[in-house]
Amino acid sequence: MSIFKIAWRSIQHRGLGSLLTIISMALGVMLVVSVLSIHGLISDSFRSNSSFGYDILVGARGGGLQLTMNTVYYLSQPVENVPYEYYLAFCDEEKRNTDLQRSFSFEAFQHEMDSLELCSVTGGGCGGLPARLSEEIVEASFESRQLHQSQIERGGIYKPYTAMAIPLCLGDTFEVNGHGEEGAYFRCVGTTPEFFTELVLDVDTEEKFKFEEGRAFVEFNEENGYYECVIGALVAKNSDKKIGDLIYPTHGDPNDDSAHIHERGFIIVGILEGTRTPHDRAVFLNMEGFYLMEGHDKPIDEGPPTVDEDEEDSEPAEVDEFDMDDEDDEADNGEAVGQTWTRGLTSVANQAAESTEEPNGSTEAKVWPRRLAIEQREVTSILIRTEDPDGYGALGYILPAKINDGSLERTLGWSAFRPVRAQKAAQAVNPIGEITNFFATFIAPIQWLLLALTTMICIVSGISIIVGIYNSMNQRRHEIAVMRALGANRFKVMAIMLVEAFLLAFAGGVLGWISGHLLNLAISPAVEAKTGVGIGFFDFAPGIKLFGLLEGLLGGSTWPDWLVDLTVSPEFLLIPGLILLAMLVGIYPAISAYRTDVAKALGK
Amino acid sequence: MLELKDIKKSYLQPNGETTDILDIPGFNVAAGEQMVLLGPSGCGKSTLLHIIAGITRPDSGKVLLDGVEITKYSEPVVDRVRADKLGYVFQTFNLLPAFSALENVLLGMTFARKKLSRDRAKKLLDRVGLSHRASNKPGAMSVGEQQRVAVARALANRPKVLLADEPTANVDPQNQKQIVSLIRETCHEDNIALVMVTHSMEVSDEFDRVEQLAELNRVVSQARAAQ
Repeated sequence: MSIFKIAWRSIQHRGLGSLLTIISMALGVMLVVSVLSIHGLISDSFRSNSSFGYDILVGARGGGLQLTMNTVYYLSQPVENVPYEYYLAFCDEEKRNTDLQRSFSFEAFQHEMDSLELCSVTGGGCGGLPARLSEEIVEASFESRQLHQSQIERGGIYKPYTAMAIPLCLGDTFEVNGHGEEGAYFRCVGTTPEFFTELVLDVDTEEKFKFEEGRAFVEFNEENGYYECVIGALVAKNSDKKIGDLIYPTHGDPNDDSAHIHERGFIIVGILEGTRTPHDRAVFLNMEGFYLMEGHDKPIDEGPPTVDEDEEDSEPAEVDEFDMDDEDDEADNGEAVGQTWTRGLTSVANQAAESTEEPNGSTEAKVWPRRLAIEQREVTSILIRTEDPDGYGALGYILPAKINDGSLERTLGWSAFRPVRAQKAAQAVNPIGEITNFFATFIAPIQWLLLALTTMICIVSGISIIVGIYNSMNQRRHEIAVMRALGANRFKVMAIMLVEAFLLAFAGGVLGWISGHLLNLAISPAVEAKTGVGIGFFDFAPGIKLFGLLEGLLGGSTWPDWLVDLTVSPEFLLIPGLILLAMLVGIYPAISAYRTDVAKALGK
Repeated sequence: MLELKDIKKSYLQPNGETTDILDIPGFNVAAGEQMVLLGPSGCGKSTLLHIIAGITRPDSGKVLLDGVEITKYSEPVVDRVRADKLGYVFQTFNLLPAFSALENVLLGMTFARKKLSRDRAKKLLDRVGLSHRASNKPGAMSVGEQQRVAVARALANRPKVLLADEPTANVDPQNQKQIVSLIRETCHEDNIALVMVTHSMEVSDEFDRVEQLAELNRVVSQARAAQ
């Protein structure tokens, strides 16, 4: 009979005591596993989510962390927006051309051009103006046209360094049970179709969004106009919404009394596959439709932007290309250009027909609202993936510094209709840097605290073994004496005690590990609802470079690279660690067994 | 098979004084021979058996077991000799309650160097008439049955010498006779030297060789003479 069997029989014989010892350890391990895996997975998810698909965020100046939190994780409330032109600074010529022609300013310019053309056709005078004045107007219009062309027929100043730029508009929510009712609510994100076609979920695998059902929304189509949306996997799961259903966003913070549900609904055309990221709990609205909802257009009653005296004196010039080597660029003079070709105009019709179909397929003709003018648009943030044609390196850190220098603000002023107060100062942040700082400042101390707590739990669990064995020591001494009388030597009875401690620790560890993961599974929906991170039964706590840490602690670098780089989930160290602890604390009863006076114990 | 020479043993009392327990000039037991040590309580019966088994070391003297002078060797060697060559039947049976009858018998050969044989354990249980109780734990068995399992366990390692410490003290008269017969018959069949300690005249009457421990132990005999 092996000593394992003898030890196991001993455990069985002390059924209740052994069970309580195992449960005590299992509870400790369960807590440790749950804390480690949930904390680790959320931390890991925060880190990995901040590295997918983009390396710079641009938004309103303020806290970089808040911008990162509400843009990357859809947490917290966005504080401010920035003008749409900031987004155009990262776009190519075609996009800028298309968008800028949808401005009040361009329409005014067109009117001016038409009027002047009429003058030139009539010749010798325009509407009774003297011929010389008419010539001056025609000359000015030529200059204006040239400057206008320089604005719209060129790429954005940061385009050479931009591989992808995607705008996000935040602020609305989707309340599953309607406004004012109890229930989950999800963040609405106005964006462009490129969000689904260009953004990658994982930079290493280049994996993009996949659709469980349906498709990505399009900017406009005859059937649904601008009012299509895509919902994340968790939204679909929690709201029972299907393709073809309508989503009615709530304007503002759902906890705020001033919040209300928009009248305009968005038809669901796609449901995303689960990504186990915050995207799962977001509703993605077509940005063009988002702009057209009530309260989303920036008022234009504030008059043309004020211009500094220095700038007024300066010569009109083109906006310079972004120059990485010169941080002291002078202010771009695009605003002067805009003022030239828009000055004197006061208003342009805001609404006009663009299409004539109902979103629900009705044959009744309907006029779709015209897209919102550029001057009335704002974005909450812009996701930028940089490219580095000049080989500067670390562009994700260099570019934000350039942007924060005020270069985006200098692209404004091209339109007399851009509200002054809308000219928000921009900031660019590196989300990975923000998250790293956040973790170093707030999360790392919590990690250490959790580690200390879990270590204490493990020690208490280990002590429960010694308590369990020690309490039965009197009975054991007699059994040990019998075994010794049958020929067992001291080391064998000591080994039996240690094996018993091992078995208790192993059983407690395995039971605790399973319970921990079952607990994770049970609380996964709650964690997922708060963080967007779902936890499956087989999701282990993220690995750590244990030997790398040990090498760092012990000093020196003599260990092989493969060992230093070896990543091990702390969960896999938990059970061996507990067993080691059990063996250590089991030494005391084992020594007690070793020292048992056989003759005396047999006499009892 | 078993030889004792000038065995002396004393214990240190808590007050610092030493108390002599044993002073035996010696005796031999040949292979297959059966001997009973008769004596009242307190005459050193259990201590003598512990010394023979190597559980307790004598202060002086020699114990030779199958030619091995166990008093000369270190404890681990003595443990191995005990596991290989000795069987022990206790007054209180000392079956381990966590194990079934069969496992208790197997335990008797677990610590020996011989190969563990489940078949032999079953045969031994059959020999003591308890094959039907193999899976029962001691708590579910009668006193007589427990002692028979203890006999089977003591024989499991094919011992050269069987020590029986008042094996019938806790059993009824009917079982007493059965158990003594069982021990004697099996020892006779396997040519095992038997040393049985008892205070029962009924038991000692069945043996050809009876040693009065009170006379053999000079500590007791001298004390009696002094009285």
